[in-house]
Amino acid sequence: MKDLGFILASWLATLGSIGVLAALTIRRARELSRQVPDDAKPWV
Amino acid sequence: MSIYTATAAVPGAAARTGTRTTRVIGVLALVTTAFVVVSAFFLTPADSVQGDSVRIMYAHVPTAWVAYLAFITTAVASGFSLARRHRTLGFDRVAGASGEVGVLFMAMTLLTGSLWGRLTWGTFWQWDPRLTTTLFLFITYVGYLAVRRIDTDPRQRARRSAVIALLAVLEIPLVHFSVVLWRSLHQEASVLSPDGDVRLDDLMLFTLFAGVAAFTLIFAWLVIHRQRLTALADIRQTVGLDAAIALRRSETSGVVK
Amino acid sequence: MDLSPREVPDAPRAQRRWLPIAFAVFAGVAGLAIIGVFLTSSIDYFCNVDEVGVREGCNDDERVRVQGSVDEGSLQLQAGTTSFVMSFNGASLPVVYDGEPGGVFQECIPVVAHGRVVNGTLMATRIEVKHSNEYEAENADRIEESESAACS
Repeated sequence: MKDLGFILASWLATLGSIGVLAALTIRRARELSRQVPDDAKPWV
Repeated sequence: MSIYTATAAVPGAAARTGTRTTRVIGVLALVTTAFVVVSAFFLTPADSVQGDSVRIMYAHVPTAWVAYLAFITTAVASGFSLARRHRTLGFDRVAGASGEVGVLFMAMTLLTGSLWGRLTWGTFWQWDPRLTTTLFLFITYVGYLAVRRIDTDPRQRARRSAVIALLAVLEIPLVHFSVVLWRSLHQEASVLSPDGDVRLDDLMLFTLFAGVAAFTLIFAWLVIHRQRLTALADIRQTVGLDAAIALRRSETSGVVK
Repeated sequence: MDLSPREVPDAPRAQRRWLPIAFAVFAGVAGLAIIGVFLTSSIDYFCNVDEVGVREGCNDDERVRVQGSVDEGSLQLQAGTTSFVMSFNGASLPVVYDGEPGGVFQECIPVVAHGRVVNGTLMATRIEVKHSNEYEAENADRIEESESAACS
């Protein structure tokens, strides 16, 4: 496949950055959730 | 007296912001994204003029559309937030979370567009109307997020950022129609063109729409989780403040245990 | 009573208070710069070939960005120099570029050439390809069709 480096870079950057944001979100969610009682979380 | 500070854990508290709905959205997002990647790399044909570089389109265009969607969501939620500001901060949190995700998607639009531009135009960047207005939109929302981070109480944050969001969203038509209004190096729209014609082969178009669906699901998943994060941070701040006031009161009355 | 200093969990946050303000100021200044400097000069990103020396802002004694299609059979690559004729709306302009244009440069494709007109020839310092908004599967028949359509 021609220009594979550019194509892969585009996809890896896109999916990688989304993955990093999702991972950071989950980590922070776990951290903060432990510090707040369940009765203050409407989703629990 | 029981006090939990900003860093202390509450015994038995559930350590999550997810629900069954978000898990379903997450799984759907993963499956759809996997299909888009397979289709973009292995199923769709190379373009007659651009060759394989067209495979960047299936990441570039959906990120742009979902960034627009995110900024419009921010504006709508901000509108509700202003209208109902005495009742809830929920809309403000959705607005902020959507803005964050939108900025990420817009950054990816700029990056993938730049790489694609190098392959087709022969240059990473030019100050043409589409690229310039897109960068302006991106910087506006970086500013919006910066304003949200300025230390203040949540209600003031909501009011201030809602006004910015309602003004910033007006840039989106400018960006979208910049290729029609002015002479641009960037191509005109292939799908949402003013004449309504769609200029893509069937499988290319299907993969493009699958990409939009996948990134929209990812957007929904991220916004739900991130607005809950903001809610947790706000609750923690409020509870921490309440606890500090209670502690100070108990100190003055000499009943600290 | 415990008189030890009270822990202030969010103390580092106060020290970083200037950071978002600095970001907001940066965004404001950058936004104004984009509008004031770049958008103003990019609104008419190029002149068409038939406007060179005719339309205001497309003077042939200044640096211009000219848009037109590469004429079929005009493209020559010799000793690292690319020359071709670009046309638009019945007008033509010879172009000489010191180098090989990047992107999907080829005959019958619209391009934007940056440079100065000297003795009726555009001495280009940059060539950009302005591809269309049509996407079709790579297929020999279709390439012939699209090329003949673009060059006809």
